[in-house]
Amino acid sequence: MELDDLKKSWQVEDRALDSNLRWRPLGRYAATLRRSDSTARRLLRGLAIEVVVSAVATVLLGSFLASHVGEPRFFLPALLLDLAAIFQLAIGVRHLVAARRRDDAEPVVAAQKRLEALRVERLRATKWTLILAPLLWTPLLIVGLEGLWGVDAWAVFPPLYLAANALFGLAAIPAGLYLARRLESRLDRSPFLRSLARDLAGRNLAAAIESLAALTEFERDAAVAG
Amino acid sequence: MSRPEAQERFEALLSQHKKILWKVANAYCKSVADRPDLVQEIAVQLWRSFPRYDERLRFSTWTYRIALNVAISFHRSEARRARHTVPAEESLLEIAADPPASVDPDLETLHRFIAELEPLDRALVLLYLDGNPYDTIAQVLGISETNVGTKIGRIKQRLRRQAAASADKERI
Repeated sequence: MELDDLKKSWQVEDRALDSNLRWRPLGRYAATLRRSDSTARRLLRGLAIEVVVSAVATVLLGSFLASHVGEPRFFLPALLLDLAAIFQLAIGVRHLVAARRRDDAEPVVAAQKRLEALRVERLRATKWTLILAPLLWTPLLIVGLEGLWGVDAWAVFPPLYLAANALFGLAAIPAGLYLARRLESRLDRSPFLRSLARDLAGRNLAAAIESLAALTEFERDAAVAG
Repeated sequence: MSRPEAQERFEALLSQHKKILWKVANAYCKSVADRPDLVQEIAVQLWRSFPRYDERLRFSTWTYRIALNVAISFHRSEARRARHTVPAEESLLEIAADPPASVDPDLETLHRFIAELEPLDRALVLLYLDGNPYDTIAQVLGISETNVGTKIGRIKQRLRRQAAASADKERI
């Protein structure tokens, strides 16, 4: 079976489309099209929300830091959280700028490489955020109780309790990775949890890196590739 | 150019090239139910990009680039799978006539073969089957003409191998 022979069948279908394919006048749809959502818009919206949330967290934690300068038991946990928020904000802004540069009129391979490179960065950031998040549980507890309700966690909970929480957070990292790898294939009923498990286990990142490599390979000249 | 003039010009150009949207949407949608959504996404992106359209590029080349980029992203987007926002009866593009009573088996084979290809190979085959010369295909995809020729050669070999394997299976 030859592709050029099948091309004839393709061209017959193509000629039929000339007479059968109907295009609805855009006039009626122009306003709808302007408002329409798209994959690109959803990505930009998600990134913008991330940036806003990180910015708000940074400002609130900065304010908390300023009001607890002389109290290391609050200052240090808040500093850790603020650094994490600033890091998230920086990444979010970088990704938002990269996403806004998207131009679908670019040659296909270049456009897809740009998108996939952004996806690799986002998945890498997500993976490390999920892995390191348990370490922030105890600082969050201390800062949250003091910031929201004026409750001193150091006075309410025994130091051993707080230390145990911190160690639990540390232990949760390898445990979370193990569970993500084991359970990922069993979470079919919940696409969200499945995606989270795949993010944590690094499978989505590995797939995206492979996809980016395939795009680079596709672009390489046959003569150079040998 | 005023907005109504721009819209009129855009519609006229798009109407001449509507088959590109249809064929790209057909090639990249896993189900017929997804097609109206993808056609609309492509149309939205074309409309938004139209103010920046560079007339040094042929409109068909520009349309292919945008349609393929949107379709490949759509195809990869997991979030899209369960949602259909455009009812089929409100699709921007539709087939006016009833489908023929018997479908060409060669065409069915071709569509199945295309559906099995990776997204970029799918784009390559689509452009080739539409009769685009190698330099146009190279311009749409952003690769060299030599690369286009080599890849099309490999795809042809793959099709031959698949056909030979199917024929062997039927003999057994």
